[in-house]
Amino acid sequence: MEYKDYYATLGIDRGATADDIKKAYRKMVRKYHPDVSKHKDADAKTKEINEAYDVLGDAEKRAAYDALGRGHHAGEQFHPPPDWSEHFDFGGAGADDFFADLFAQAGRSRRGGFQMRGDDIHAAITIDLADAYRGATRTVSLRVPKGEGPGRATMQEKTLSVNIPRGVTPGQQLRLAGQGHEGHGGAGPGDLYLEIQFAPDPRYRLEGAHVYENVPVTPWEAALGGSVAVPTPSGTVEVTIPAGSQSGRKLRLKGKGIPSATPGDLYLILDVVLPPANSDKARAIYQAMARDLAFNPRTA
Amino acid sequence: MFANQIVTGVLIDDVALDMEELARACQVEPDWVVRHVQAGVLGEVTLQTAALRFRSTDLARARRLLELERHFDANEELAALVIDLADEVRRLRARLHALGIRDT
Repeated sequence: MEYKDYYATLGIDRGATADDIKKAYRKMVRKYHPDVSKHKDADAKTKEINEAYDVLGDAEKRAAYDALGRGHHAGEQFHPPPDWSEHFDFGGAGADDFFADLFAQAGRSRRGGFQMRGDDIHAAITIDLADAYRGATRTVSLRVPKGEGPGRATMQEKTLSVNIPRGVTPGQQLRLAGQGHEGHGGAGPGDLYLEIQFAPDPRYRLEGAHVYENVPVTPWEAALGGSVAVPTPSGTVEVTIPAGSQSGRKLRLKGKGIPSATPGDLYLILDVVLPPANSDKARAIYQAMARDLAFNPRTA
Repeated sequence: MFANQIVTGVLIDDVALDMEELARACQVEPDWVVRHVQAGVLGEVTLQTAALRFRSTDLARARRLLELERHFDANEELAALVIDLADEVRRLRARLHALGIRDT
């Protein structure tokens, strides 16, 4: 595995006090929090910061990490020595991170003698808008500890093909019973919770179950009205453009958004596109309009 | 590597979690859930704790509350205020995005 320098992640030295660590964490997480940061890697950076603080912010985990990490640098290949962890016990090490990898073979294996249900796992799965309209099967990969007999476990990749039900909306959570961490002493496994996220789609925007789509129209379609064919997530539909429409006009197709328990609506936002005046004929038409329509939108 | 399995889950919003399930999913004691419901910062306020049911948004909110309380030593009201403000920012940004307005 690759060594991760949690001290470097938080920008502190190895002699930092618990208070220094907490201050550094708070400063970093405020700087990179996805809700306030414009940093393009804010999500990944926040995950790294949280992972570092989960270890360094806990005195016992920090001691174990320090016992291993002397002389190593971030990115180096790293192999923990045998029995290095005998003085530590981290039953809860279950995140998908470097520290969890280390303790897959150590802390979890020393829980013998009592029963305990496995921890739940939280992860996210990214789907396309079309999946929400029709349902789909999507793959998710997780790194989880896998028991190999008494006192032995390794981190392994677990791949699941997950049935995505029709009608899901962003932020909803799927619970996959029994797909969490293994239990101990014969107890059952935990559950896997998957938060539904949508891949960005340049054609559509989402607000809950409502879907928004820009529809380019010609000036004459907007001015005179008419029927146009519009591709939507559920197929092409014929839409009537009301006469006298302007750019930004919203047309609502009720119930044509994501088909959730309460179906969303599909909003078509008209975008009037001018033909280029790049030929004598086009210029002549624009000149005729300028002369005959006496239209000034700044005084209208 | 584990063998690839095809699995079917249930949407939390269809079945809802009870108090014990939410507590387990957040790795907290059920008392933590009760305290936050009674403080009005999580789920529906009710005196019938046995009847409490939680949905996707409650699970996500509970985990964010917990993170703020643990990492920033925030009390439940302050953590809830931070989340409410962050959610409002997200909602407004999503609205701008939906209307095709770029947030610069």
